[in-house]
Amino acid sequence: MITIPPYLKKGDTIGIVCPSGYMAAENVETCIKTLESWGYKVKVGSTVGNQFHYFSGTDKQRTQDLQKMMNDGGIKAILCARGGYGLSRIIDDLDFQKFKRSPKWIIGFSDITVLHAHIFQHFGIATMHAPMAAAFNGEGYKNEYIASLKNALSGTAANYNCAAHALNKVGNGEGDLVGGNLAMIAHLIGSHSSYKTRHKILFLEDIGEYLYNVDRMMIQLERAEMFKHLQGLIIGGFSDMKDTTIPFGLDVYNIINHHIKDYKFPICYGFPVSHEAENVALKVGVKHELKVRKEGVSLKEVW
Amino acid sequence: MGKNKQSEIKQELQKIPLKQDKDFLSLILLLFFNKIMNRKHFFQTLLPLTVAGTLFNKTKAAKDFYQQPILPPVLKAGDSIGITCPASPVDLIKLQDCLKALNNWGLNAELGDTVGKHWQRFGGTDEERAADFQKMLDDEHIKAILFAKGGYGVMRIIDKINWDKFLQHPKWLIGFSDLTTVHLHVNGNFDMPSLHADIAVGLSDDPTDISSTSLHDLLFGNRIEYSIAGSTMNREGFASAKMIGGNLSMIQACAGSKSDIKTDGKILFIEDVSEYKYTVDRMVLNLKRSGKLNNLAGLVVGAFSNPKKETEEAFTQTIEEIIFDKVAEYKYPVCFGFPAGHVKDNYALKMGVDYDLNVSKQSVTLYERFLSDTPLPTAPKMMVQDTLIQVDPLENR
Repeated sequence: MITIPPYLKKGDTIGIVCPSGYMAAENVETCIKTLESWGYKVKVGSTVGNQFHYFSGTDKQRTQDLQKMMNDGGIKAILCARGGYGLSRIIDDLDFQKFKRSPKWIIGFSDITVLHAHIFQHFGIATMHAPMAAAFNGEGYKNEYIASLKNALSGTAANYNCAAHALNKVGNGEGDLVGGNLAMIAHLIGSHSSYKTRHKILFLEDIGEYLYNVDRMMIQLERAEMFKHLQGLIIGGFSDMKDTTIPFGLDVYNIINHHIKDYKFPICYGFPVSHEAENVALKVGVKHELKVRKEGVSLKEVW
Repeated sequence: MGKNKQSEIKQELQKIPLKQDKDFLSLILLLFFNKIMNRKHFFQTLLPLTVAGTLFNKTKAAKDFYQQPILPPVLKAGDSIGITCPASPVDLIKLQDCLKALNNWGLNAELGDTVGKHWQRFGGTDEERAADFQKMLDDEHIKAILFAKGGYGVMRIIDKINWDKFLQHPKWLIGFSDLTTVHLHVNGNFDMPSLHADIAVGLSDDPTDISSTSLHDLLFGNRIEYSIAGSTMNREGFASAKMIGGNLSMIQACAGSKSDIKTDGKILFIEDVSEYKYTVDRMVLNLKRSGKLNNLAGLVVGAFSNPKKETEEAFTQTIEEIIFDKVAEYKYPVCFGFPAGHVKDNYALKMGVDYDLNVSKQSVTLYERFLSDTPLPTAPKMMVQDTLIQVDPLENR
């Protein structure tokens, strides 16, 4: 039975941290202002704006900042300002005892996939795969994807629709929703943080990978039997794909489809979960129903 | 005594490890029983007695014998070696230097159907590549398989392969990089050694080309005795264990699969090319978090060549520091800069065999512990200006 952290009410405090890569403080401004406009208080962690070469602090500093937010009973949700790389280095140094007793929403995507997988597998607590600080910048804070985060935080059940895609496989599936960044999911295989996907609905997205590497990662997931007993598969955005001198010869969705087309569960391509603007808030670990029809796709949170 | 029986006995005798005292003891036994038994019955009892004699020697040699894995047989002049493209496409023209080398070595190169084939970014469809590899595995006439090139594609066919005939008649499987999947798979699933060495497109008959000469030496029966420069980053120590591994990205890609590496008690070898430092960090971290680094006998770090540079300033740690960080808490020997991997001098390594590894900051030695129990033929001489390389079949026993 999944534990759902309490949804937020007006006046609640959201903490902001950078658990991985460095982010300049000014790039978090719009995010902070928007959260405040939603009626929340914002507590900015010491890793926001802090820099240690590539990272937002030494491993110790990043661990301490996240740990403090996790332990602070006054903070009801932690929004990771950016991903990048670095969570893998600190995940085993975090103490989840207090977090287990008083769970709160952990928000983010990309490198944050490490937390989604780890927390779901170890503690059965739902987390939020959703836009981070950069997504608020420019006009971003006005769009429907940031709005989906607002809705999710206040307790609105997910109810998303997206257009049909030629490669979709029609069908219905129901199960706990898990997933995130394909490269991170592949890199967790073999570790104790790795997703167990039996009877789940799995969603995948990625950015900036070589096409042959996407192919390789799909094979890895397949050989690790991560597709074997799925209830459904959601393929989100695969943006900024790279190709080698000898081109692969297929676009990324067809590369992916080659490995999964013979499975019986419903498959949806082009779902708005990605490193681009199109990135709806998804509650990892919560039961959802995926309906893939010729006319379109719906993904609904179910109780 | 019939000629058949004689040859039968000879075969029986040849199967056991060659030991200098073998013949002497068998002779003693034969003489002893000859004396006490009626001559009429002598030949009737000869075979069982000889078997008894060999068994006597077997138990004596049992300790060594049973610790020795089955090794694919060494090659001799006239043997056929198969060339196949399990991954990237390779045109015949790219194999010219390799074919010259193989010819010089006295081997007969058999080109697979996939040579010259192109499909998407592979040397033929998955089915064609699998079928070509399968054919060579099953063909007893082919005594070793030299993969034409790595790149990417082995993972797509590895689960289509049937290893039964190969296990009955093992042969050296030669390659590296993408071919790491083959090494991991056969070393891990069948305890069968394989050859981590340059692929066909990298070979030549240049006598200064160590990638080629070291491969030749191993194929024709040399035992590995490598001595390399040390490094200040080395952690000193000694290990006596089986070595497995190869390309780090492929080791990572095999995690969770039937080819997954089991590292307990082993010497792990890793190398890679063109990776960001943070990717190396992530991959070694995954090994650690999967419990694959905490019970090693030793760690041998090969070349990590052509690292990618990031636009933002990334790790200031060197690759060596990044790796060493992850194993700092353990005690086993760690050596850096081993000349194998995506480098010009890619020293051939037998994966899945036992080594004595001696690491100090000044030097590193890697000695193969056992040889194949198959008797060595006379090795062909490599015609080189100053050096005649010849292996004495008995010398390295």
